[in-house]
Amino acid sequence: MDRRIAVIIPAYNEEETIGSVVKEVKGLGDGYEVIVVNDCSHDATARNAELAGATVIELPANLGIGGAVQTGFKYASAAGFDACVQVDGDGQHPPREIPKLIEPLFEDGLDMAVGSRFLGGAYKVPLIRALGIRVISLFLKIAMGVSLRDTTSGFRALRRPAMEFFARCYPQDYPEPESLLIAYMKGFKVIEVAVEMNYREHGISSITPVRAVYYMTKVLLAMLIDLCRKY
Amino acid sequence: MLHIRLFIGAIAIMFFAATFEFIRKGHLREEYAILWLFTSSIVAVLSLWPGLINIVSEITGLYYITAVLAIVFALVIAVLMHYSIAISKIKEMNKELTQKCALLELRVRQLERGANIVGGTLLRKTEGEGGVPPPDLSRKMERATGLEPAASSLGSLHSTN
Repeated sequence: MDRRIAVIIPAYNEEETIGSVVKEVKGLGDGYEVIVVNDCSHDATARNAELAGATVIELPANLGIGGAVQTGFKYASAAGFDACVQVDGDGQHPPREIPKLIEPLFEDGLDMAVGSRFLGGAYKVPLIRALGIRVISLFLKIAMGVSLRDTTSGFRALRRPAMEFFARCYPQDYPEPESLLIAYMKGFKVIEVAVEMNYREHGISSITPVRAVYYMTKVLLAMLIDLCRKY
Repeated sequence: MLHIRLFIGAIAIMFFAATFEFIRKGHLREEYAILWLFTSSIVAVLSLWPGLINIVSEITGLYYITAVLAIVFALVIAVLMHYSIAISKIKEMNKELTQKCALLELRVRQLERGANIVGGTLLRKTEGEGGVPPPDLSRKMERATGLEPAASSLGSLHSTN
């Protein structure tokens, strides 16, 4: 089968790591095209990605993670890809794990595969973050009756129907937990897959402990509002 | 008392004139300007004709300054809410435009490199035999034309940022 998979890498100031991530993905084989969405970086992110062989989408204004990833979905949908994978540009998501996410989409006909740090692994996150992830997990359990552990994972694969849907409509600020809820509400079949993740090589998480409270409030509120919407 | 009334009236009239000038120059859209023109007219009329305020309170039964303030406050909040909604809408439109712009810019780069793009579909459909994924095609063209892999266009983009 001749499948075309878009590997979408949203990147903001990640010149140190982007090149090696792109090269690693390219090493996976011919079915993968790497699409780097450069969210108005101030460094050589775009150039390094291009030199490593990625297709670079240059956002003329900074949109944040949600808007950047959605741009990738739009491209991949218009270009007729069969599925896409979202991968961080900072090296946290090892590209060798990508096939693990793609497999359930085509073997089992699922719509979305979420790479999980917690399934069958002892990945450590700071206490306050772990708590936040748990709370969102609990919310999903109560609201949708589903069990998902790594609710903030940005390492995920979408098959075409989900990809096209998110190309039209995708949360903007902290999209990971919200998009999970929306996927369930929309009736997409979601699976959590155990993957290895690296600890961040460069840069710091966008979620510092100071912002954790704001993050939780914003995400829970947004998810409550999503529940009252129709998707 | 008269002085302060004349002063407020003068300010209201100047405000009215300034609003009118902003609309004329195209700095302010009419839909927003109506509110400002309306507000400044009311302030101007009330300050120049103080008897009116007694007539208004006679009709509405509003004698307490706190009640008047509460109403004004509610109106101000409503206006702010309107602006918040307008900003959200503009932000959404701005996001869509940014994404569209970036995707079109990529498409232009691909076309410049000779990738075969047909209709609304990027990359997939190639004319003739088909089935040749245009990324490879574009790379072949690069080799043939000796073009840098868009490094030049990227460079110029960054310098303008």
